[in-house]
Amino acid sequence: MKTTQTQRLFDRIESIRLANVTKKYDDRFAVDDLNLEIKGGELLILIGQSGSGKTTTLRMINRLIELDEGHITINGQDIMGFDPVKLRRNIGYVIQNIGLFPHMDIHDNIGLVPKLEGWSEGEISGRVEHLLDFVALPHETFINRYPRQLSGGQQQRVGLARALAMDPPLLLMDEPFGALDPLLRRQLQDEFVRIKHEIGRTIVFVTHDIDEAFKLGDRIGIMDGGKLVQVGTPEELILAPENELVASIVDADKKFKHMDTLRVKDMLSHLDDKYIFESGMGVDQALDRMAVNNVEIGIVCDGSGLAGQVEMADLLRSRDEGKTLEDIAESSIVFSPHDSVAMALGELKDRGRSVAIVMENERPFGLFFSDEVLLKLI
Amino acid sequence: MVAILYNIMDVWDTHLLTLRTFEHLYMFSIALFIATIIGISLGIFIYSRPGLANPVLNILNIVETIPDIALLVLLLPFFGLGAGPTIVASILYSILPIARNTYTGLKDVDHEYIYIAEGIGLSPKEILYRVRIPMSLPLIAGGVRIALVFTMGVVTLGGLIAAGGLGTALQTGIYLYEIDTILVAGIWTGILAVILDGFAGIAEKKITARFGSW
Repeated sequence: MKTTQTQRLFDRIESIRLANVTKKYDDRFAVDDLNLEIKGGELLILIGQSGSGKTTTLRMINRLIELDEGHITINGQDIMGFDPVKLRRNIGYVIQNIGLFPHMDIHDNIGLVPKLEGWSEGEISGRVEHLLDFVALPHETFINRYPRQLSGGQQQRVGLARALAMDPPLLLMDEPFGALDPLLRRQLQDEFVRIKHEIGRTIVFVTHDIDEAFKLGDRIGIMDGGKLVQVGTPEELILAPENELVASIVDADKKFKHMDTLRVKDMLSHLDDKYIFESGMGVDQALDRMAVNNVEIGIVCDGSGLAGQVEMADLLRSRDEGKTLEDIAESSIVFSPHDSVAMALGELKDRGRSVAIVMENERPFGLFFSDEVLLKLI
Repeated sequence: MVAILYNIMDVWDTHLLTLRTFEHLYMFSIALFIATIIGISLGIFIYSRPGLANPVLNILNIVETIPDIALLVLLLPFFGLGAGPTIVASILYSILPIARNTYTGLKDVDHEYIYIAEGIGLSPKEILYRVRIPMSLPLIAGGVRIALVFTMGVVTLGGLIAAGGLGTALQTGIYLYEIDTILVAGIWTGILAVILDGFAGIAEKKITARFGSW
């Protein structure tokens, strides 16, 4: 659609590295020796109280704030080597107060940087129309309106469209939904989850709302007093918080709140060999083996893979009948490690079972016990 | 009633008030136009060199405190009599409100907008021309409107130094103690000022609606 090729500093983000980054205001460390690697394509959340340094960190990436010590590199190139204006035109930027220019209509607001980059009017209009439709604002209706004629949510969508105008491979978002009322915030978050994949950019996102962080983030970095305390996936933070602060921020003592976030792989029991039984094994022999290993359930495998499961109680009923496990194995409930814990527990309950087999790549990977999950959650 | 109208027509013809009105508006337009250009340029200039802002505004303030008659007299040695010194005096008076409002407008644009402009990659020059100046237009218009009133006053006073314009008719009326002339010329000058200020007010409102922040 656009034919003018603006000179790009980077076409895609391989990685962004912050190494020993420090920013001081007088004697106070706003950001203190921060090390962080942001992977290309991920949405990394920075979360913390106000004054924790999260916004300062974000602003150092597009050089709105110049760091005092350390280095920030994008794809291995130090950002201090770039012209700041050029750097910022390669990075989309969205802030809480949106900051649409009141004297420009929506077309001019979104098309401002493309215009400064010398795009033709036709190219700009095409891009603006495309972006407005992308953020669910019909362009026929909105393109000639002024910001004051738009609601807060609509303005925020235009803010996002403007950030995407130059098709930047990196987006910086500073509490973009912070000023909206809770209902609208939730709605825009849902939409953002949807378009996140379509955008397919690397995104660094600052928030103080942990629910938002869990909803949107691939990884979450927790900041406090200018330091990065812990960075990890939501599961890692909930299940292995580094300290009290992280635990309290992620509400680790109320893990059940995070059932939607948790995956089966976070809650499974390791599949020891003692659980695995050959399908041709006799019932009596299997009972002996269970007794020795102190287990009450067996995963029955044949040459081609999973054949089902047996429980000790069933084996006892069938003893001395000369049967093999193959004859009495029941089909198993199977989950993938990536299924959500909430869904898995629901299915177990519906089918009146207490255990499921977790398979990965067609091989048994672990066991998922409903009562054990509940114990881990409380 | 008819007699009054007749009197007015008589004064109007005797004192060439149509011609005087054109002279008046001519001096007024030139003075305000030049003052606006100088005032805005000076405002932008002192904005870009903040160290000069206070000295320059102080000097303009001193000019502003000189009584207008005194200023006209002070200009006589340089510009002689007539329209020249009158226009120069009008400009000198009008620069301050325009320059000061321009400077204040540029400086006081909500930092949020400057900040996002930087963030999306505008250079300082682009921020000045695309954001600061447009967003200052309502305040600049306010400054021009104040200047308009000043200019009207000084141009009228120009009658004292043979500048022409409605001031001349007024002066004549005062010298000859012709109450009719004083009234007609005085009221007409007043009406003219009110009309021009009214137009300026409408323009200012339009500019504020278009460029003001909400």
